[in-house]
Amino acid sequence: MHSVELRNVSKRYGAVQAISDLSLSVAPGSFTALLGPSGCGKSTLLRMIAGLEEITQGQCFIDDDDVTLTPPAKRRIAMVFQSYALYPHMTVRQNIAFSLSLAGQSRKAQNEQTDKVAKLLQLEALLDRRPAQLSGGQRQRVAIGRALVRDPAVFLFDEPLSNLDAMLRGQMRVELAKLHQDLGATMIYVTHDQVEAMTLADRIVVLDKGRISQIGSPLDLYNAPANKFVASFIGSPGMNFLPVTLGGAASGRAKATLAGGATVEAPVRSAGPFAPDAELGIRPEHFALVAPDAPGSALTGAISLVEHLGNSTILHVDTSAGPLIVEGEGNLAAKVGDRVGLAVDADRAQLFGADGNAL
Amino acid sequence: MSATTGSADARGAAIAASAQRLNRLRAFDFIGLMVTLGTLLLAALWAFPLYWALVTTFKPESEVVQTGLHLWPEHFTLENYGQVLFDTKIGLWYVNSLITSGATTIIVVIMSAGAGYAISQLNFPGRRLFWWTIMASFMVPFQALIVNQFVLMAQFHLVNTLTAVVAPQLIAPVAVIIYKQFFDSVPRDFREAATIDGAGEFQLFFRVYLPMNWGVTTALAIIIFIGAWNNFLWPFLAVTEQEKMNVTVGITQVFDAFGVKYARELATAMLAALPVAAIYLVFQRRVTQAIMLTAGIKG
Repeated sequence: MHSVELRNVSKRYGAVQAISDLSLSVAPGSFTALLGPSGCGKSTLLRMIAGLEEITQGQCFIDDDDVTLTPPAKRRIAMVFQSYALYPHMTVRQNIAFSLSLAGQSRKAQNEQTDKVAKLLQLEALLDRRPAQLSGGQRQRVAIGRALVRDPAVFLFDEPLSNLDAMLRGQMRVELAKLHQDLGATMIYVTHDQVEAMTLADRIVVLDKGRISQIGSPLDLYNAPANKFVASFIGSPGMNFLPVTLGGAASGRAKATLAGGATVEAPVRSAGPFAPDAELGIRPEHFALVAPDAPGSALTGAISLVEHLGNSTILHVDTSAGPLIVEGEGNLAAKVGDRVGLAVDADRAQLFGADGNAL
Repeated sequence: MSATTGSADARGAAIAASAQRLNRLRAFDFIGLMVTLGTLLLAALWAFPLYWALVTTFKPESEVVQTGLHLWPEHFTLENYGQVLFDTKIGLWYVNSLITSGATTIIVVIMSAGAGYAISQLNFPGRRLFWWTIMASFMVPFQALIVNQFVLMAQFHLVNTLTAVVAPQLIAPVAVIIYKQFFDSVPRDFREAATIDGAGEFQLFFRVYLPMNWGVTTALAIIIFIGAWNNFLWPFLAVTEQEKMNVTVGITQVFDAFGVKYARELATAMLAALPVAAIYLVFQRRVTQAIMLTAGIKG
């Protein structure tokens, strides 16, 4: 198993700084997701590891080898592209064996290795077809096969599932996770889909404007986001943010007063003192629906939209503190216009300072 | 009871049939018919000279010069074809045409694809200048260069050689432009995937880019071949010896002491056009695609 390390890397396109002084260490055998919105630099970072983009400043290591100036073919990496990049004029077998053929391996060796990979990915029946004759999922598997056959030190995935429909994406996620389990190889996976990152990766690197916003396990990012950007990016539906006035902090908790006057004793990670202006972040599932006049009701409001998802119900509630998204049970009998009270699970709430960082 | 039912059925069928006739009459498209007839007339006008030439080749010369319109030979003969095939050097002219057109096609395709790939995919000093030079050469008609080219060939002592016929025809900027456009449109992912797989520039060119654009290559090759085969002006100037002539130039040599023999000349023309017509018929779709390509319409 192999590691990847980026040391103080930067990437500049003319006046545009795509990556700023970024350092990252990817442990051997880990499945690391680079997550962020469009333009955050995640694909650029992956391409820098692949050697497809020149590193303006800094160094890239694969194991202990400095590969900053090494051409892509010699970095011992394999990459799966968003478009799959399957050569349309070649059959599946030729596509998979292309790198072996370029390396000058004998036809027999090429066939043996291709058959092995095809068996692993259940592509045996498709070996003589051309990419145009394959479905999206099959093309994806061929693209993975092409990466696998090279027996690389590191697998790089650049949003490989984004061209698939929702159902197929779910299936391919499972297949990728199983593949990682079976191979135990180091994989770096770029995505803007937080569900993909959460389900596949054992470590997520959240990027924002070319910088690392937070690195952690999926649950770390979900439960303890380092800042408002991560908190809003992870989780669907997204976290609600309410402006609050902070009172004193004691025993790891700070008293936050909401616009309507209700107070929430939310946990804080630092000792303070804190500036009074802050925001309280509450995930939709950390609200409980109660009667408007119930003693635990921190906020009241009217339902403006109901979305039934089957396993849960998403309510859009207009409150005095602003519009909120609340997740309820699947069989919730709520109607537009109903007045509801909202109790807050204070232990799960997050406080963010005016600079956006978690308190 | 059953008789009544039977007559009702017959009446129903008759009504249905007359309604159908009425519908057909309503659907009768008078303008469509006129357009079809007009098109057929134009097609006949276009095809008539071809037909006339073909029919003439099967007439004896005495019948050809007769007054009046004779749409079919009174005395059918293959004598004209026999004379062309056995009394002239048409076999050699065919071979010359095949060699010069084949060489022109192969060299133009290889050079244009290479130049198109270089301009499209490689970064080298002067790339832009190279591109604009090719674009500029596209604007200079072949006829404007013909004297210079003849002088050049004479200085190289190449006049009356097949090389002299081929060399000036290798300047085909339109083929470079088409290749560049096609290589530009290949998504960058293919290049990057192949680079990661270990492909160098030659492998990228020969194993990825060229085969991916095989349709363009075949279409261009066909149209270049047809163009080179039909070319008359330059081969006519570059070669004066019968042994080095192409079939198009060779036609001009089919005369005898008694002057022009129309039937024989037309038989030669028919034989000269035969390979091109055959290629066109076999590769009709590709030729259309190539014409669209050269007109700037992507096929």
